[in-house]
Amino acid sequence: MGASILTARNLSKVVPSAEGELTILHELSLELNKGDSLAIVGSSGSGKSTLLGLLAGLDLPSSGEVTLAGQALSSLDEDQRARIRAEHVGFVFQSFQLLDSLNALENVMLPLELDGRKDARERATHLLERVGLGKRLTHSPRQLSGGEQQRVAIARAFAAEPDVLFADEPTGNLDSHTGERISDLLFELNKESGTTLVLVTHDERLAHRCRRLIRLEAGLMVAPLEP
Amino acid sequence: MARLPLLRLFSLAMRQLLRDARAGELRVLFFALLVAVAASTAIGYFGARLNGAMLLRATEFLGADLVLEGSSPARPEQIRSGTELGLDHARIVEFSSVIAADNGIQLSSIKAVNEQYPLRGELKSAGEPFGAETPGGGPKPGEAWVEARLLTALDLKVGDSIDVGMKTLRLERVLTYEPDRAGNFYSLTPRVMINLADLDATGVVQPGSRVSYRELWRAPPGSTALQTYRDLVKPGLAANQRLQDSRDGNQQIGGALGKAERYLNMASLVAVLLAGVAVALSANRFASRRFDASALLRCLGLSRREAMLLFSLQLSVLGLLASLTGAVLGWLAQFGLFYFLHDLLPADVPPGGLLPAVAGIGTGLVALAGFALPPLAALGRVPPLRVLRRDLLPIPSSTWMVYGAALFALGLIMWRLSLDLVLTFALLGGGVVAALILGGLLLLLLQSLRRLLARASLPWRLGLGQLLRHPLAAAGQSLAFGLILLSMGLIALLRGELLDTWQNQLPKDAPNYFALNILPADKEAFGARLLDVQAQSAPLYPVIPGRLISINGEPVQEIVSKDSSGDRAVQRDLSLTWAADLPQGNVLTAGTWWTAQPGDGVPGVSVEAKVAESLKLKLDDHLVFTIGGENREARVTSLRTINWDNFQPNFFMIFQPGTLKDLPTTYLTSFYLAPGHDQQIVDLSRAFPAVTILQVEALLEQLRSILAQVTLAVEYVLLFVLAAGMAVLFSGLQATLDERIRQGALLRALGAERRLLVKARRIEFGLLGAVSGLLAALGTELVTWVLYRYAFDLAWHPHPWLLLLPVIGAALIGAAGVFGTRRALNASPLTVLREG
Repeated sequence: MGASILTARNLSKVVPSAEGELTILHELSLELNKGDSLAIVGSSGSGKSTLLGLLAGLDLPSSGEVTLAGQALSSLDEDQRARIRAEHVGFVFQSFQLLDSLNALENVMLPLELDGRKDARERATHLLERVGLGKRLTHSPRQLSGGEQQRVAIARAFAAEPDVLFADEPTGNLDSHTGERISDLLFELNKESGTTLVLVTHDERLAHRCRRLIRLEAGLMVAPLEP
Repeated sequence: MARLPLLRLFSLAMRQLLRDARAGELRVLFFALLVAVAASTAIGYFGARLNGAMLLRATEFLGADLVLEGSSPARPEQIRSGTELGLDHARIVEFSSVIAADNGIQLSSIKAVNEQYPLRGELKSAGEPFGAETPGGGPKPGEAWVEARLLTALDLKVGDSIDVGMKTLRLERVLTYEPDRAGNFYSLTPRVMINLADLDATGVVQPGSRVSYRELWRAPPGSTALQTYRDLVKPGLAANQRLQDSRDGNQQIGGALGKAERYLNMASLVAVLLAGVAVALSANRFASRRFDASALLRCLGLSRREAMLLFSLQLSVLGLLASLTGAVLGWLAQFGLFYFLHDLLPADVPPGGLLPAVAGIGTGLVALAGFALPPLAALGRVPPLRVLRRDLLPIPSSTWMVYGAALFALGLIMWRLSLDLVLTFALLGGGVVAALILGGLLLLLLQSLRRLLARASLPWRLGLGQLLRHPLAAAGQSLAFGLILLSMGLIALLRGELLDTWQNQLPKDAPNYFALNILPADKEAFGARLLDVQAQSAPLYPVIPGRLISINGEPVQEIVSKDSSGDRAVQRDLSLTWAADLPQGNVLTAGTWWTAQPGDGVPGVSVEAKVAESLKLKLDDHLVFTIGGENREARVTSLRTINWDNFQPNFFMIFQPGTLKDLPTTYLTSFYLAPGHDQQIVDLSRAFPAVTILQVEALLEQLRSILAQVTLAVEYVLLFVLAAGMAVLFSGLQATLDERIRQGALLRALGAERRLLVKARRIEFGLLGAVSGLLAALGTELVTWVLYRYAFDLAWHPHPWLLLLPVIGAALIGAAGVFGTRRALNASPLTVLREG
């Protein structure tokens, strides 16, 4: 498999609930190579976010295994997984998730600093210029519009040159025009850096810009892979 | 006109309250109120009961709670009304008589007592002069208990017989301590105590003899009968009768009681203040958490008034529940304390009654109203449109109303605790000004920190960034924590230094003996002898008993009011003295001290200021004293204050030197002799048989034990202040917890290790604590300066050790902050995906 950066083998997630055990994800497998892009679509409650969380190592599966950048995640503790995320993973969230206590520049510097890189300030400045916010480095998130905040988030996501970028409904909180421009930016940067992209979305148009697509329904993959 | 009946509204409120309680939302508010009420109740009880215990101690100096004193026997109805009220009764008849023995005669002060005497405190006696003391008992019929100096004077020993008038009595024991003697050092003749049953047989007391009849009364614990009796008897007092109680029984103890009360109230004030801040913080959170619910209810058709009523009802019920529970807790807390301290405290600590509990509950409700009303009012003003646009906030209450209500509540509580309007306004006003100035400084400090740390490492920027996200909130929190540290600093000061300062006013080598009746012929020799035994002695003051009879030509009885201190000053012989120099511890308040011998005119007299006030004396008033049967004139040339705490001989009236020289005079002094020199005292009294040597050790011991009680109380109160402080801390943290959980999860998702988060938190709260500590150090100095100067009348000096407060603050708040936000540290990074 050589170039595969992210693999999932027979992933299941079962959580206890009032009516007994509830299966959110059932026996799901996939494999992504470097530079791939994958869209995960499905209705609310189909298990999209759960899958994303498992693939990114934010949560552990009930059974099965995720291998990210050659490391089997279930054998690692939370701090070790955090280390993997700092080195190999970037995130873009629906609600931007910038830290209000830090300014735009500091938000972008954050993953670089977590990765222990010395050129954090220069690289973060460069990235913010790249996403068109070079003049707003010291603005706090509250002083920025939704689109601008998501651009900061995208700059942050690409800052540490991740191997895999996870995007959770990146345009969900934006109007369609702004959303369009944000997804353009996302794919541009993805292409430039050769990052593997995993995208969760409702937006079929966005989903179809990805090379591969899976559709989930009640925890089962119903439309596998190729577009 | 409300469309919903109150009952329905009430039931809706209750259902919401129950649901919210299960959700845990109101717990912090409940806890804060609980602490406020428990603290104020426990301290109220503790103070009231301790005060009661101290009053009991003070009553020992009278031997009773109340004494009816007269120069003729009390009328039968005056006795009857007391016994009918259920008061315990004892009787003393005191007079002077000559004691005859084989080896001579000695004028003595005879005290005839019945079996019930004393009602408060105990007699102490020994089997031989300066032998081991045993407490309790009293002379039985046929017995006489006498002071050692009578034995010395008449060369008697225990077991010998003496004649009192026509009655022969056996010397049974050596009297070493009378509880009611302490207030009356200046009785110059040795004490002989006999049983009242033998009085008639002596035949000494005849019509016209100078006799003091004292009816002693004691009330059962918790009874108000004493006050009833006082009210009943007071109007019918004869001219030669007066009532004495423990308050005016002894000036030193009265002063100590007053100071103790102030300490306690000050400390409880701080605890209530802090709990109030916690109530304010959590009430704010209560309100902001209910903006959505309020908007929805308004949308569904509830009027503003009804919406407000709904939430007020919830808070009131919560407040009542918390207050009642708090009062019970507070009551239990003080109970526990008294149980643990029963070795140190007198056995018969009176119960505190219901008042402290009621006052505690009142304090809680006032604090709730003052601090919670403004945010609650905001709830009523939530626009219904908020259901569509979540970012719509209620029009904020006018700041004046918010702070006005809180200040009013605070002022009310302060006033209740201190009952001193000036002090309340001074503290409140000073507090507001200080908060404004310090808050401003704080904002500047935080902003400059931000610039300073722009290039600092990530955890520093994260911690500081969190602090500066809401600079006003950070300043407010810092002020609140500053207040906690300030109160800790203050109480440490109260506990340690203030009490030390006070105790130092009563120095270790405070005189422990008084020597009276030193004859002019013995004066030089006695002074030399004191030097020989290395006793530290005050000057020898001449003493001449005399009575003030007229002021500016008018008889004094027509001038002074009954039962005032001036009254007491003219009812008995005063110890008059003369001095060339102003005695130590005396401060002139008016007039000038003399520098020369009097000329041919009327000689000058310097009068103690309080007595002067009571007698309405002014400078240049013309006084006439009767001294040894002669009338002597004097003119008031100065007024003085006296430090009563120093156990030096003190005098109400000091004459110009030379004025009274022709009259028969004795001398008195006080001196300190280190413990363990009993033999020197025996030798001294042998060498000067006429001299009366009084031990004041017992009195000093009593004062020290009162100080010890106060110290304990203040330390105990510190626990409540800490609890209140923690309530503030956690209610403050609670308010930011949601945001912190989100932030923690995000940082984890981005790959931050737990260590980094902990470090950032430590920096954030450590900084907050350090800044608060700095504020507290400044504030403490300011407050102590005011308190020392205006409330306690002590000299102020800086306290460098207060600079420890920033360190303590950083450690304490750093640790508590990390602990209080541990949920945010452990938040699963998955939470970031569950939002929005």
